[in-house]
Amino acid sequence: MDLRDAVGMAAGALWSQRLRSALTVLGIGLGTAAVVTFVTFGASLRADVVGQIDTSTANNIYLLSTPSDEEGFPERPQPVFTERDLSELRSIEGVDRVVPQGTVGISSITFSNSTLARQSVTATTPEAFSGISFRQGEPFESGTDEAVINRRAATVFEQNLSVGDEVSITRRSNETVDATVVGIVNRTSSQLPFQTFVQQPRFYLPTEPHYDAVVESPSLGVNQRAYPQVTAVADPSELSGTRERVRSYLNDSDASGLQPPGYSLSARTGGDIADGLEELINRLTRFVTGLAVISLFVGAVGIANIMLVSVTERTREIGIMKSVGARNRDVLLVFLIEAALLGAVGSLIALPIGVAGGWIATSYADIPLTLVPFWFGVAVLVGIAVGVVAGLYPAWRAARVDPIDALRRE
Amino acid sequence: MLSFIVNSYSSRAYRTIGSVHAQVYTPAGRTTAVSVQGSETVVSLDGVTKTYELGGTVEALSDVSLSLEEGSYTAVMGPSGSGKSTLLNLIGGLDTPTEGEVRVRNNDLAGLSEDERAELRGTEVGFVFQTFNLLPRLTARKNVAMPLSFSGVPRDERLERAASLLEDVGLGDRLDHRPPELSGGQRQRVAIARALAPEPSVLLADEPTGNVDTGTGERIMDVFGDLSGSGNSILLVTHERRIAEHADRIVHIRDGEVEDIEEV
Repeated sequence: MDLRDAVGMAAGALWSQRLRSALTVLGIGLGTAAVVTFVTFGASLRADVVGQIDTSTANNIYLLSTPSDEEGFPERPQPVFTERDLSELRSIEGVDRVVPQGTVGISSITFSNSTLARQSVTATTPEAFSGISFRQGEPFESGTDEAVINRRAATVFEQNLSVGDEVSITRRSNETVDATVVGIVNRTSSQLPFQTFVQQPRFYLPTEPHYDAVVESPSLGVNQRAYPQVTAVADPSELSGTRERVRSYLNDSDASGLQPPGYSLSARTGGDIADGLEELINRLTRFVTGLAVISLFVGAVGIANIMLVSVTERTREIGIMKSVGARNRDVLLVFLIEAALLGAVGSLIALPIGVAGGWIATSYADIPLTLVPFWFGVAVLVGIAVGVVAGLYPAWRAARVDPIDALRRE
Repeated sequence: MLSFIVNSYSSRAYRTIGSVHAQVYTPAGRTTAVSVQGSETVVSLDGVTKTYELGGTVEALSDVSLSLEEGSYTAVMGPSGSGKSTLLNLIGGLDTPTEGEVRVRNNDLAGLSEDERAELRGTEVGFVFQTFNLLPRLTARKNVAMPLSFSGVPRDERLERAASLLEDVGLGDRLDHRPPELSGGQRQRVAIARALAPEPSVLLADEPTGNVDTGTGERIMDVFGDLSGSGNSILLVTHERRIAEHADRIVHIRDGEVEDIEEV
């Protein structure tokens, strides 16, 4: 029996039980559609996130002290990097500049007549703006009451802020700083790569004189400013070598002595963080897709089940086929093709459903839809494979039907 | 003796037919009549015993020897449980003997693999069952063509042949009807056409009139009569003497043994 005849026979049998076949197809189809939906969503999320990662941060080495067991996004880093650490880092070969970043606790910012309640502003050095193009103005100078703000911060008050405006910042100590806005930027060079995703209003003040977190340097025995985050901007030509040198310095830095137990120092480049983020999304996608694969199994069980019912019901038909010359493998082939057809048709209808699901999910998450045709091909192949695997046992049972017993059945 | 080779369906010979033995698949209506002489044996059973293990050993056939000549028309008669269906299943290659030898066209069935027996069923024997055993979702034409699909005859050729066979059994206007749309007699004629499709060496009919009324049964027996007249070898199993008398000889079988062979 050639393949075309077997396909014709299988299709005829499925067609004669249209409702049942349709429901089975729906079962496997929904399973595959779920997989397609999540894969599409994952791919869209990844494309969106990767597209937003600021590639200009690739040469930045971010130094942070974070709990050792925490992965991904550093949260609430401790101020452990002393001025001595900064100057040691500056002297490391391959490091172009070192930018510390800390926070100044405040209670509010007022501009004109409108007041914004706020926890903190960022304290950093003018180097944070080196190589950054300003929308307006220029970097602040150290030792002044000048401020730089980001684009978003310019629009948070009733009136838009522009260069030359004065904001009054009320510190936690109730002392008020009247700062003059000297520049508006999109970002700073010390900003973590993913901080561009969500544009929050940011205000930057010079560390001198505004930053006042002070600790005693363990190596020098004197009080110094200490920062929770330091960015070493490396010479792009020797990024990884510089990162290794920075790491080895960290072992005998003040920071390693100052950090609380359970914390560790990390030196990661923008690329490392972007990779970590991508890996996180991939892992998330795999996990959710894994959940969807369960529904694929449910669909496979549906095929196996209906094929077993079919074999039982059609025992007599199998007997007839065998009595007129069908070999075991002919019977096996017909039933396997039936199962494969169920899987194939299921996964074909799954594609539009899955893409629609992906579209709904991405619109809901407000990210652009990215379609990956490769996965569509995989989905169809997996559908067929699931059908074949689910049909193996029923088809084997069909092939082994004893024609004499089968023909005796009513 | 006068003999013809008649192949009225297509130029392609389905099996090489010896010049002495002609096989014609034509029931009523065909003008060619062929007499077959100096016959060779198409089916032979030699000391065949078949036992089943059903909570104890049941002997369905015991030391049966029988041979069917080419072109012969034999009825096997016996009460139910006498072993006549077992006999048919053995000759048809559905079953294998416990002891003894079953040969169809010189193929020793015991020496054949399962696949080879399936092939034999699809080429050397044609079954006609009491309950017709047609596939209800296939048209009459596709039912008839089905055995040929397993032996690799191209689609167009087998459909053409099926149409021609259905015409021969008087169902030329029912090609695309499905079995549920046909009467019992028509269904049995479709089944006969299917049995003839591979040009088998022997037709095996198991109570072919058992599921139709007496009048229809007579007409079906007429079809068998015509088939015999045109040189087909037929083995018919029945428990009715009236039906058995259509054959040239009646093999009486009881409790798995041949009791008597009666020439009609």
